[in-house]
Amino acid sequence: MTAFYNLPVFGIVITLVAFFAARALRTKIKFVLFNPVLIAITLIILFLVVFEVSFTDYNKGGRYLTFFLGPSIVALGVLFFEKYQLIKHNIYPFLLAVCCGGIMSILSVSLLTIFMNAPEVVIKSIVSLSVTTPIAIEITKITEGIPSLTAGVVIAVGVFGNAFGPGFLKLIGIKSETAMGTALGTAAHGIGTARALEVGHLSGAYSGLAMCVNGILTTLIAPYVVVWMVG
Amino acid sequence: MFRMSKTSFKIHIKTMNLLKSGLKMLKAFLILFLFLGLGELINYFVEIPVPGNILGMILIFVALKVKLIKLEWVKPASDTLLNYLVLFFIPFGVGLMSYFDFIKSHWIVLLVAAGVSTLITLYVTALIQQKLEKNDSVL
Repeated sequence: MTAFYNLPVFGIVITLVAFFAARALRTKIKFVLFNPVLIAITLIILFLVVFEVSFTDYNKGGRYLTFFLGPSIVALGVLFFEKYQLIKHNIYPFLLAVCCGGIMSILSVSLLTIFMNAPEVVIKSIVSLSVTTPIAIEITKITEGIPSLTAGVVIAVGVFGNAFGPGFLKLIGIKSETAMGTALGTAAHGIGTARALEVGHLSGAYSGLAMCVNGILTTLIAPYVVVWMVG
Repeated sequence: MFRMSKTSFKIHIKTMNLLKSGLKMLKAFLILFLFLGLGELINYFVEIPVPGNILGMILIFVALKVKLIKLEWVKPASDTLLNYLVLFFIPFGVGLMSYFDFIKSHWIVLLVAAGVSTLITLYVTALIQQKLEKNDSVL
């Protein structure tokens, strides 16, 4: 049985089972915490902890699935082109919204960590928390933080935005689906975009481009902000 | 011997159509991977701090815009991938289990900083976009 955990097929099968179970549950119960990403991740972590399987063993299969993130991000470019005609007349409000949101993210997270007396390595690791994981890790390498912590927090932010983003935005009076998409992509990267795609394809297109624009913006600004704040 | 019965001819057409859509899917994936590879290649040779997959995303958009490639060529693959986007993120999320100890000692800072800044970002972005955008969708 132990040997089975070492096979890549174990990680793939358990992820697929958890994913489709979580998705099926979602269609039955529309409760916010029954978010497919959250449920699937929780189920898999519980399984691995209970049966004492290490993350390294799980990821032998898991990495075959994460491999598809690369082409999926390229696919977002295709989706954006499809909806470009619909976005074109809103491109300036869109760019302004993403830039203001992205800068607010960098400033608020650095000020909060400094205000709460966190060690320098925390701000260096999580300054890029609203950006898609691969870019965030690149930024952490530049700021000399801990890349693994970055990945963890970025995912958590994505799941948080995915689960609670639309609810929060509705609560504060956002009615526009496109504004919702832009906000989800800017604040919660690809996982937020996955939720924006559930809201609608147009919302998903705004979200995907927002993720891309904010990724580039944060890469260019965040390292300087970190140097400016902690030296 | 060379004459085909009606039913076998129908089956023949069905298999041909299946083969055709399969080939179209294969071609679509090949093009996506081509742009991903191109992005990674640029990332490798030119010193820009933008990851290869994001460069690939920009490149494929430009290629579609200047009509170097057609939307129908890539759409089967991109639609399939976007449908399963969430699935590809799950192993990253499971990776959180490796950071239990660090999270235990810094969880308040991480929770407050991540939570508050995410809400501020959502609020600022959505508000500006909603205030300034021209209404384009019939809701």
